[in-house]
Amino acid sequence: MKLWTSEHTFEHPWETVAKAAWRKYPNPMNPGVTGIDVLNRSIDSRGRLESHRLLITKWSLPSWVHTMLGTDATCFGSEVSLVDPKSKTLELRTTNLTLHDYLSIDETLVYSPHPSNKNHTLLKQEASINVKGLPLSGYLEGVVVGNIDNNAGKGRQAMEWAISNIKSEMEELAKTAQTVSLTAQKELTKTMQFIDTEPYC
Amino acid sequence: MDSIGEECKELKKKYDECFNEWFGEQYLKGKTTDPCKVLFKEYRECVHRVLVEKGIDVQEAYEKVLGTSKELSDPNKKETETQNVKK
Repeated sequence: MKLWTSEHTFEHPWETVAKAAWRKYPNPMNPGVTGIDVLNRSIDSRGRLESHRLLITKWSLPSWVHTMLGTDATCFGSEVSLVDPKSKTLELRTTNLTLHDYLSIDETLVYSPHPSNKNHTLLKQEASINVKGLPLSGYLEGVVVGNIDNNAGKGRQAMEWAISNIKSEMEELAKTAQTVSLTAQKELTKTMQFIDTEPYC
Repeated sequence: MDSIGEECKELKKKYDECFNEWFGEQYLKGKTTDPCKVLFKEYRECVHRVLVEKGIDVQEAYEKVLGTSKELSDPNKKETETQNVKK
């Protein structure tokens, strides 16, 4: 078993990051993730939101690899997450279901406000890689760890991408609100003029 | 974004839209009443039907993730498992 850990700071408040986490996929950085389903979701007595999701990915491996491993190109992952709005933490745990008996990659992501800057969010990331019942397991685990570094970078870019989507939507909303408010002001001014002149009728 | 079942895709889209709106605008602001319950029930039923067809066990998938936390937080359990393998 090999452990991989990392930290990253997002220069956005926790609430923005938490919203973006649900809208991370689909994104251009992880084209392999093709589907996500919410299997169960509930709020516990402490007001925490627990979600269990199924992640569907398409592997971009040569066809002979699939033949060898006895799996088609579709793979499944399982993710359990817990949002605690009171303590402002979002924790996600993910593992692969496909080929789980040979290779398991168990990942934990924890998003919480940065201890030294409340307007920033700290991501603590940990992955445990376990190759079972295969020769050269230590070597294979090393290869997987190498890939995780690269994938973690993509994951962060994807979060930034989801955050920028939320922000531009908010700006659009603000613009629309401004237009509506301007129109309303004009209408109101017209009405006021009307009122100004009408009382004498 | 796809669903495991092509027939669940539309239900998923409607539910996700409802959830994202609720999560950002209500839940994070302290409101725990879920207005998307009916949409989720329909969508969830559709997904669970397809999962049965594909032979994916939801409970097992859930336990595989939580097994992770047990392994990471309880070093004694890991040791026992390793010993079992050796035997």
